[in-house]
Amino acid sequence: MMYFFVASEAFFFLALIIAYVYYSHPGGKLSDTARFLDVKKTAIFTLFLLSSSVTINVADNRLKKGNHKGMVGWMVATIILGLVFLIGQSLEYAHLFEIDITINKNVFGSAFFTLTGFHGLHVLIGLIVLSIIAYLIYKDKFNKLGTSALESASIYWHFVDAVWIVVFSVVYIGSII
Amino acid sequence: MKDFFNAIRHFFEQQFTSSSEGAYDINHLFLQYLILAAVIFAIVAFMVIAGALKYHSKKRQEVPKQVSGHKTLEITWTVLPLIAVTVFFFLTLKVMKKINRPFKKDQKPDIEIIAHQFWWDMRYPKYGIITANELHIPAGEKLLMRIQSADVIHSWWVPDLGRKTDAVPGHINHSWIDADKPGVYKGTCSEYCGAEHAWMRIKVVAQTREDFDKWVEHQKQIPPAPTDSVAREGAKMFQSMTCANCHAIAGTPANAHIGPDLTHVGSRTTILSGMLTNNLENMKRWLTNPQKVKEGAHMPNFMLTKDQVNALSTYLEELK
Amino acid sequence: MNLRIHIPEATEPLPSIRTGNGLLQWISSVDHKQIGIMYLWTAMIFFVIGFVEAMMMRIQLARPENSFLSPEAYNQIFSMHGTTMIFLVLTPIAIGFATYFIPLMIGANEMAFPRLNAFSFWIFLLGGIILYFSYFAGGAPNVGWFSYAPLSEKYYNFTPGVDYWALSILLMGIGTIGAALNFIVTTLTMRAKGMAINQLPLFVWMIFVNAFLILSAFPVLNAGLVMILLDRQLDAHFFTTSTGGSAILWQHVFWVFGHPEVYILALPAFGIVSEVIPVFSRKPIFGYEFIAASSVAIVLLSFGVWAHHMFAVGLGTTFGAFFAATSMLIAVPTGVKIFNWAATMWGGSVHYKTAMLFALALLIDFTIGGLEGVGFAIVPVDWRLTDTYFVVAHIHYVFIGAALTGGFAGAYYWFPKITGRMLSEKLGKWHFWIFFIGFNCTFFVFHFLGMLGMPRRVFTYPDLPYLGSLNMFSTISAGVFGISFVLFFINIFWSLRHGKKAGDNPWQAFTMEWLTTSPPQLKSYEKVPLVKSRRPVWDLDHPEDPDWKRNQKPKTADHDQE
Repeated sequence: MMYFFVASEAFFFLALIIAYVYYSHPGGKLSDTARFLDVKKTAIFTLFLLSSSVTINVADNRLKKGNHKGMVGWMVATIILGLVFLIGQSLEYAHLFEIDITINKNVFGSAFFTLTGFHGLHVLIGLIVLSIIAYLIYKDKFNKLGTSALESASIYWHFVDAVWIVVFSVVYIGSII
Repeated sequence: MKDFFNAIRHFFEQQFTSSSEGAYDINHLFLQYLILAAVIFAIVAFMVIAGALKYHSKKRQEVPKQVSGHKTLEITWTVLPLIAVTVFFFLTLKVMKKINRPFKKDQKPDIEIIAHQFWWDMRYPKYGIITANELHIPAGEKLLMRIQSADVIHSWWVPDLGRKTDAVPGHINHSWIDADKPGVYKGTCSEYCGAEHAWMRIKVVAQTREDFDKWVEHQKQIPPAPTDSVAREGAKMFQSMTCANCHAIAGTPANAHIGPDLTHVGSRTTILSGMLTNNLENMKRWLTNPQKVKEGAHMPNFMLTKDQVNALSTYLEELK
Repeated sequence: MNLRIHIPEATEPLPSIRTGNGLLQWISSVDHKQIGIMYLWTAMIFFVIGFVEAMMMRIQLARPENSFLSPEAYNQIFSMHGTTMIFLVLTPIAIGFATYFIPLMIGANEMAFPRLNAFSFWIFLLGGIILYFSYFAGGAPNVGWFSYAPLSEKYYNFTPGVDYWALSILLMGIGTIGAALNFIVTTLTMRAKGMAINQLPLFVWMIFVNAFLILSAFPVLNAGLVMILLDRQLDAHFFTTSTGGSAILWQHVFWVFGHPEVYILALPAFGIVSEVIPVFSRKPIFGYEFIAASSVAIVLLSFGVWAHHMFAVGLGTTFGAFFAATSMLIAVPTGVKIFNWAATMWGGSVHYKTAMLFALALLIDFTIGGLEGVGFAIVPVDWRLTDTYFVVAHIHYVFIGAALTGGFAGAYYWFPKITGRMLSEKLGKWHFWIFFIGFNCTFFVFHFLGMLGMPRRVFTYPDLPYLGSLNMFSTISAGVFGISFVLFFINIFWSLRHGKKAGDNPWQAFTMEWLTTSPPQLKSYEKVPLVKSRRPVWDLDHPEDPDWKRNQKPKTADHDQE
């Protein structure tokens, strides 16, 4: 079921990505505003997000083997890595706001902040969900449905990562080509 | 009864005779399509009505033979419509190419249309004249129009003279217009554009070449200063009150194009984009309270006194 | 009767909270049958409102240059009418019947996610309430149900109507997506033993493929709604043409949703008539595979046709040609179904029950509507007819002629199962004929109005020949049309109390929902038969000629009966 849900969300992001591609190239050329994006820093924070996909896989494995403590540990790692990513995004936003690049600066700003903003929102919601699930499993509140809950959440989390890989490529790498 | 049938005949004749090459191709294709549609509908109606009547339960055994399909039949009635649409696709392509006649990239358009909320700005770059809402063209010639919008999306459409073309802000469209014979052709804005979308009508007056040239000459002239006192008052008021901030009258300092150009407004047959006949009384009605006449138009109510209204109206009506 | 004992329930107890009877129980219910009923009631209530809006429009348009409604009032009303009928009437009719009947038709006792089911309904209803709150909050949306930019931007529209519109559709969309997820997972995982995917009742199949359409189309709409809200609230520049935004992008985004949306509304109705016509012809559907396959074709193709709403925008001949081709192509799978449905009657034994009459009316009216669609695919014809009353004719012939008519067929077919009582056939026939005649009289003249050049979305029109008389005729017919709905409601309310008791299978129908009691118990099924064919109840009722036995026979020539 989560597969269907993420497929649905994929269409949402696809629409935003297409809008971004269109608006980041006004008149066919890359927008000047794009040059202010900090590709290197964001790449590092991207690594944090991608590693969180690895850690959540480990957590899932631990749970399947019945190692609740291990699962919780790796979940905490996942959540921390995700948080670091979000902090990085916020720093990028802060830096852009400082130089007066906001959602209403121009079409680039509108498209950029909408696309990355909704991605960030999905990460945030994911972190909340992961925290709740980790807590509930730790406290043994789930019966055997706990494994499928974590599995579903993992699929969502991997999706959020995959979207970011596309967004990073299109937005950040696209800004330096 | 005879009247009714005559009306129907007249209606259908009217639908499929065309006053322009642009419309002719469209109407011809439309007729071909209607014939196909009628045939298909007849087949379906027959299958449904005859089937229901013929196999009505009271004439049939309660448990009929349980047939669940017939591959050949089904393939046939899939392939036949496929062939029909393929034929129409090629017809479509042919007519599209014919109507969207190519033009050179920098070709200067004969007519420039700028759509506004709720009126049409019309310019003739080749003659340097500007008018509004009532377009004059020479009959028998194909003219290139450049269509754009100053605010929201509108759409230029004169049914007798060809296709619809949207007026999109930020996007320029070109379209050809032609009329076979002199005459008056009515059209309308065809994309919902706000409160008074219904009253953004178009009037196209096709004239013989001579008459058109005369009209152009007349439009080029600067209207003479008014002679009678009431109109002179009106002229003064026009310049001193806020009218000049939006409207242009050639030969005076007023040259803003936020509202329609009023240089020869008196010679137009209608005002307010076809809403009212152009005469003194209607002009007075409008100026007294624009929002009451055309609610949502962008001309505010200036709370003019009766005398002011009278003076301005007289002046404007004299701008022939 | 050989019933194998298969108990299709979850091993955990159902999470339905019964807090006694009455209103509170309905509000907290996660029972798919109750939720289905709530969807249907929502549809009926909003229909009355939407119809009142329509009548106000018709009164205003009855005479040229009428002054019954101001331009602003008319523009708000036509926008609300469209949004209401599409999102708050036709959508809940489809989702309501699906929610109620999918589990029953596949032999399940619940949907896969009962709480998601309830959530979907309530957030959908919240969206509807927010939409109507706009009337009290400074003005309803007045930019049509499609809200073209930049007219919908703050600069041209500073009352909050558009914001309410966008927000409400976002909420309703979330509900619809939730319902779609539920339909897919339920159909995939909770079928009775033996029911292969190609043995699904066609209504279930249509809803199933429709759900994929919902999952892919609504998110694109959501993206567009987000963009317009950001434009209006945070001064973003997505569609503000003066600052680099693109008005055309809105059209693309909206219609990538909008076109699949109309199939989202039509496919459930197709599913309903695919159930009704065979039952009342006493034979299986003619060409199950073609009908099922054609619906998949429609789902796939519907993402490739959207720009036929934009032929007049001026995007070039190649662009137009491509979308003309796909739009003409999509007519083929749609048309195939009509022939299959009609052919089902041939060789059968046709019963003129009201449900069947509505199903047949769909065949006739949807053919008209669908043929018009093909007309619009012919680009030069579109250049003449788009944005005229010809389009208004088309949309009403497909929305009313297919979706609503199918809904009525479903209502008469399934009312006995839902309530345990029969709807009055006498009243039903009156309802049907006044509906059919009223509908066609009201809307057929729109074709002529369009051909005469009357544009759409206008609060009035000049006194040109025929326009006044045709409009007046339509308005009067609309009044007659309205009477048919009164009859329907009377039928419902009367039959709820005094209708003949229905029994389990009053129509001698073929699919599994007719095995349950009427109405079904909270736990619909204790036991379900092993499914061996597409018509499990036919097989049980006709042990001498069950489908599975007949389908095993070597292929003989299947001809139509004499």
